[in-house]
Amino acid sequence: MGDLVQHLINGLAAGTIYALVALGYTMVYGVLKLINFAHGDVMMVGTFGAYAVAVGLGRPAQSSLLGVAAIFLVAMGGCALLGLFIERFAYRPLREKPRLTALITAIGISFTLSYGFQLDFGPLPGAAPRAFPEIIPPREWLVFGDRTVVIWNWQVISLLIALLLMVALQALVYRSRFGRAMRAVSFDHRTAALMGIPVDRVIALTFMLGSALAAGAGILFAIKDTVVQPLMGLYVGLKAFVAAVIGGIGNVPGAVVGGLLLGLVEEFVVGYSSSSWRDAVAFSFLILVLLVRPSGLFGTVTAEKV
Amino acid sequence: MSTSLLQAQGVAIHFGGLKALSGFELDIHQGDLKGLIGPNGAGKTTAFNVLTGVYLPTAGTVRVAGEVVNGLKPHQINRLGLARTFQNIRLFKTLTALDNVRVACLADTYPFFSRARIEAARRRSSKRSGAAAAMAALNNYVDWWRAMLLTPGFQREERALTVKADALLDVMGLLPRRSEEARNLPYGEQRRLEIARALATGPRVLLLDEPAAGMNTREKADLMVLIRELRTRFNLGILVIEHDMKLVMGICEEITVLDYGETIARGNPERVRTDPKVIEAYLGDSYLAAQGMSVPGGSP
Amino acid sequence: MASLPAPLRGVFPVLLALLLLGALQVVVGQLPFFVYLSSVVGVNVILAVSLNIVNGMTGQFSIGHAGFMAVGAYVGGKLALEMKDLAISGIPHGVSDQLQLLASLAVGGAAAGVAGFLVGLPSLRLRGDYLAIVTLGFGEMIRVIVSNLEVFGRALGLSGIPQTSSFMMIWMCVFVVVLVARRIQDSAHGRSLLAIREDEVAAEAMGVDTTAYKVRAFVISSFFAGVAGALFAHFVPIINPGSFTFVKSIEVVTMVVAGGLGSISGSIVAAVVLTLLPEVLRSLFLQVGGLEGGAALAQKVDQIRMPVYGILLVILMLSRPQGVFGSRELWDAFPRWWGRGRRAEE
Repeated sequence: MGDLVQHLINGLAAGTIYALVALGYTMVYGVLKLINFAHGDVMMVGTFGAYAVAVGLGRPAQSSLLGVAAIFLVAMGGCALLGLFIERFAYRPLREKPRLTALITAIGISFTLSYGFQLDFGPLPGAAPRAFPEIIPPREWLVFGDRTVVIWNWQVISLLIALLLMVALQALVYRSRFGRAMRAVSFDHRTAALMGIPVDRVIALTFMLGSALAAGAGILFAIKDTVVQPLMGLYVGLKAFVAAVIGGIGNVPGAVVGGLLLGLVEEFVVGYSSSSWRDAVAFSFLILVLLVRPSGLFGTVTAEKV
Repeated sequence: MSTSLLQAQGVAIHFGGLKALSGFELDIHQGDLKGLIGPNGAGKTTAFNVLTGVYLPTAGTVRVAGEVVNGLKPHQINRLGLARTFQNIRLFKTLTALDNVRVACLADTYPFFSRARIEAARRRSSKRSGAAAAMAALNNYVDWWRAMLLTPGFQREERALTVKADALLDVMGLLPRRSEEARNLPYGEQRRLEIARALATGPRVLLLDEPAAGMNTREKADLMVLIRELRTRFNLGILVIEHDMKLVMGICEEITVLDYGETIARGNPERVRTDPKVIEAYLGDSYLAAQGMSVPGGSP
Repeated sequence: MASLPAPLRGVFPVLLALLLLGALQVVVGQLPFFVYLSSVVGVNVILAVSLNIVNGMTGQFSIGHAGFMAVGAYVGGKLALEMKDLAISGIPHGVSDQLQLLASLAVGGAAAGVAGFLVGLPSLRLRGDYLAIVTLGFGEMIRVIVSNLEVFGRALGLSGIPQTSSFMMIWMCVFVVVLVARRIQDSAHGRSLLAIREDEVAAEAMGVDTTAYKVRAFVISSFFAGVAGALFAHFVPIINPGSFTFVKSIEVVTMVVAGGLGSISGSIVAAVVLTLLPEVLRSLFLQVGGLEGGAALAQKVDQIRMPVYGILLVILMLSRPQGVFGSRELWDAFPRWWGRGRRAEE
């Protein structure tokens, strides 16, 4: 029983991170119908940014409230800029081209970032994983019984941060002017442009928002995993994509549910079999969902016009 | 009385709450030339899509050559003798005119199981027979090998295909353009290439979806002659969707009028032309009133 | 060749290639570095040309090719390990080796073909980017499964597979895959595949069983990926799951995209250039830079390969999305002495 609860908690903690990354995927897919394959790698860049700031701040400062805030702000801001840059120079010129062209470009960017960061000349970090500073020193937050269930402080904090970001995002998409513009663009960007919505700016802002969220998620992920390395984005990105698809890509609450579901299932499978099957979970999930219900749990079916 | 080649009985299709088509009836025999008209969004192309198996009807049955085809895939229905063209030209753009036709010429070959044997298996069980399908698939597999090994028989068949395709291009006046990529042909020729391609599948019924769209008066006149000619030359039954009233009224013997998915009139051109419901659907009743024409129940 | 009698057209090129490659084998067989290099190039050419049958000719974008390569490598390799101590008596040792290699290629290819069928049947209902992602998922699934199987040595992989793949065998396989791709393209079946690429709805309406044709293209493509994998297993000292990640898939995709989707010769040229370039640079650095600095530089070449592929993909998509060759073929330029040039025949 204790086992079960512990897995539940670990699964939720991992799931919130997938959910945050998945939100970026879902938003970008919503406005552009593009699988932004490079999303996970943007997350990785953000995490390295956070790493640099944390190391720069040094030991006491990095775990102060102000320090942590600075780390998050710099990483998220930097990533927003990176997202803006990628959108402007790689995706925007391809907007009217076949969707596969953009997907191939996204794969190209993903490889450029992840393997580019493995190089070790100039400021690039090199392939070796490095320990992420303990910006939130791990403490046991709650211990039940004979240590059968342990909840760590960072698990609670990351859950709270994730929930906060999701609620804020939901409000932004469904309550604000910008959100309305975003949904209009998502529905039909040509018509939206005719209605006077600055489509380019909306798409650029969506990218910035998604990238910033990814950076936040990346830091939480680094806290959980305690290391950062250049290839971390590839798999986290893929899994977050799976989460977005499970929930119905383009759907904000769906991404959250999908992320949590994936985190839980992965944790349970690994917990009760072997960690070498971890990656298989996400992929079988992906295959199953795409084959049985391609529109995901909350997505709507669209028919092709003949 | 000849047997019906294409028959629709009480066909309806709903998309969510939208009734795109309801109570649709159609009967086409060899030598028929019928028309399907209606305002934009009336469900004409939807009707084509249901008949050819792109959409599954919500209710009713479609029969091709006497066989119920509900639930069959478009390529299976095509093989029973129903071919179509598309309203928004859907040629294989980067293939040459010749290859566009040759794709459709794709004949079933029988390198392993004979045609008679497959037909026998098909007949033995009333429904779609798994054994027959498996045999046909195996034939196709063997045929791939013949292509890869470039057997003499395969080379002969390829030459025969080319001859057949050339003949069709000639009928449609496209022979000089055979090596041109489809996307480089002018609009009118693209429309005609679509017809040639449809004919290559060896249909008994041909569905033409706005064949004259985008053509000038001269081309339309030629097309009218051509459609009549195709009917006799290939022993076809033809159903045309067309917005150009002159063309439809000029060639069709029977016209069905759709509005909001409902059949509002059916009959010979003269009858349809004067039907108040048709005029209302096309022009709205305010127009009728303004013209002082007979609005049902109103006085001039 | 156009003047050949019809029954001979099928086999003549194969016999000619056999003869030529046999002669070359005698000449270059003794140059180990050249043989190694040409093996790496050959395997990549097979992978690129076979992937092009699906991605280029049929227009179904698959990015899981490495998975099928893995099936071929592991099944073929395992078979070779089982047959290791056997030798066919009465014929020279070398010939017996090559026959065994042939057997393991056939079995590896067939296994990959079966895997392709199992993967293709459900996934090819999807289109565009969803299909791409699901093939990636299947490719990774295959790798995860393989790395959890005891027979395949789990994460350690298989070692001790006889190093019997020869220059002649590899290039014979290259020749066969190119020939098959070309002949399919020139046949009624190939035209159906092209029609599916151009417009699936129209192809279906013209009587093409699109699902069946897509699956068949996928099976043929997987079969050759399996052959490439089995060849690979016979000239590298060890195969492990790390050789078949989706990085490898993307590498092949890059070659196909760079060469031009639908152009067989484009895939060949791109595979040769993209494989040789790093190898040549590496050996150049090793030669010029002396032992210490050279080794470091050579290592850099390896590191820099993947980001360069990434940048290449981005630049290609932005400036020339149809690839260097588009869908044209090198041999279309010489229809006269290459008898059955596609346009020439018409």
